[in-house]
Amino acid sequence: MKRSPKNAASASSNGRGSRSSHKILAAATEAPSRFYGIPLPGVRIEELSGTLVVIEGTDGSGRSTQISLLTEWLESQGFAVQTMGLRRSYLVGEDIDALLAENAVTRTTLALMYSTDFFDQLERRILPALRSGLIVLADRYIFTLIARAVVRGIGRDYLHGMYEMALRPDLTFWLDVKPEIAFDREFKKAHTISYWESGRDMSLSNDLFQSFIRYQSMIRREFEYLSKRHGFIELDGEGSVTQVNRVLRKRIASHLGIRSTHYQPSHALSHLWR
Amino acid sequence: MASVTTDIPATIESARVKAAAPQRQYPGALVVVEGIDGSGKSTQLYLLKRWLEIGGYRIHFTEWNSSPLVKSATRRGKQRRLLTPATFSLLHAADFADRCERQILPLLHGGYLVLADRYVYTAFARDAARGCSPHWLRNLYSFAPIPDITFYFRAPLDVAVTRIVAGRPKLKYYEAGMDLGISLDRAESFRIFQERILSNYDQMIDTDNFVLMDGTVRVNKLQKQMRQIVGERIDLSQFAPKKK
Repeated sequence: MKRSPKNAASASSNGRGSRSSHKILAAATEAPSRFYGIPLPGVRIEELSGTLVVIEGTDGSGRSTQISLLTEWLESQGFAVQTMGLRRSYLVGEDIDALLAENAVTRTTLALMYSTDFFDQLERRILPALRSGLIVLADRYIFTLIARAVVRGIGRDYLHGMYEMALRPDLTFWLDVKPEIAFDREFKKAHTISYWESGRDMSLSNDLFQSFIRYQSMIRREFEYLSKRHGFIELDGEGSVTQVNRVLRKRIASHLGIRSTHYQPSHALSHLWR
Repeated sequence: MASVTTDIPATIESARVKAAAPQRQYPGALVVVEGIDGSGKSTQLYLLKRWLEIGGYRIHFTEWNSSPLVKSATRRGKQRRLLTPATFSLLHAADFADRCERQILPLLHGGYLVLADRYVYTAFARDAARGCSPHWLRNLYSFAPIPDITFYFRAPLDVAVTRIVAGRPKLKYYEAGMDLGISLDRAESFRIFQERILSNYDQMIDTDNFVLMDGTVRVNKLQKQMRQIVGERIDLSQFAPKKK
């Protein structure tokens, strides 16, 4: 998705001041922390004028639909948008696909490959976009990666340490849906349930439905924990696309200082509007 | 903005994870060699391996950066020079995790003497020289079992650099630390990069119980010392061939 970084000015107007109370982890510096811990080498925080908006939620929560709609809405308002998501890095995106297909990968290796994928996108796509004042819409972020690894028995401390150089989002939305609803939606879409989304590597149940429900419930519990900890904006992902989208627009508009939240999707996206 | 984000807990408390020393719960043993390029470590480990092989011991040899898992990514990253200090480090950690979880740990549990040419200390020394936080690195590799012996081969910078430069037509981009932008001259950049790595290694001698080996000593004499230390510190009889 290549888009020109025009209209950077309005995006940069939102204040970073409210973060100044957060000190950089284990460091004596007084700089406001846009990172969870130690900043990435070579990143100057004051250069990052864009806005990072994260949409989290399980498969079947409507993330991708909402991101398509939000992109169109933001562009119609004159904001340039960049997107990111899991396994989309040039460096290792395809390698992870291959590893997952073979399911011959162990949990720590997979966690580190996902981390490589994340930081490659962050450093080579997201930070440049934020320097240019773009709005970055992230289709999942470190929270999914942390939750997936935690339910597989990797320590929270270990994972939080791994991602301490990650950028703290400006807004994190969690589209929460019950596992049963997510199952219905996913099954309708693909007529099957994926090996990894049902956590079959964890030997939870031989029954695919049971396995999916138990796995997604574990992930959801971890998200509840993460949500409290990191101040997610929780949205009812079981609501209609239009309802969820209205709330998203409202929150993002108030963050960016956009007055009007009116939006009617173009013909190209009207099939999503239900 | 404000209200939503201001209540975020200020930090992720990963912080004080000391190399969460995994308890030794296996019958095997782990011997590793570390040191900068040209310190003679690989030669010495090879000779140790030959000694044990010829004696019929249950051993396995493993080296840094050898898993097929990340080969394509590493090649892609290096060819097009896309690697940053963070992704360089993470990719090597993924590679090491794969070797650790699928090779080193099962072999240690299966009662093997595992010999490793380079180990996590390579990442600690080299990636910190690239600007990664030592604390972040320690956490990243905290799943790795702690070696029974870590031999640190130390040769003066000039000796090591001369050995490497003489043996290689051209230093590679990342090998020479060109990504750090220290110097446009590859040989010069290599030298400064190795100097930083050497100093990082030196700082671990005490904290990580390195056995210091003088890389300028004659090969056969140094090997004799190495074999003696292995014999003293590790009960080799448990890896010996069964007598019939």
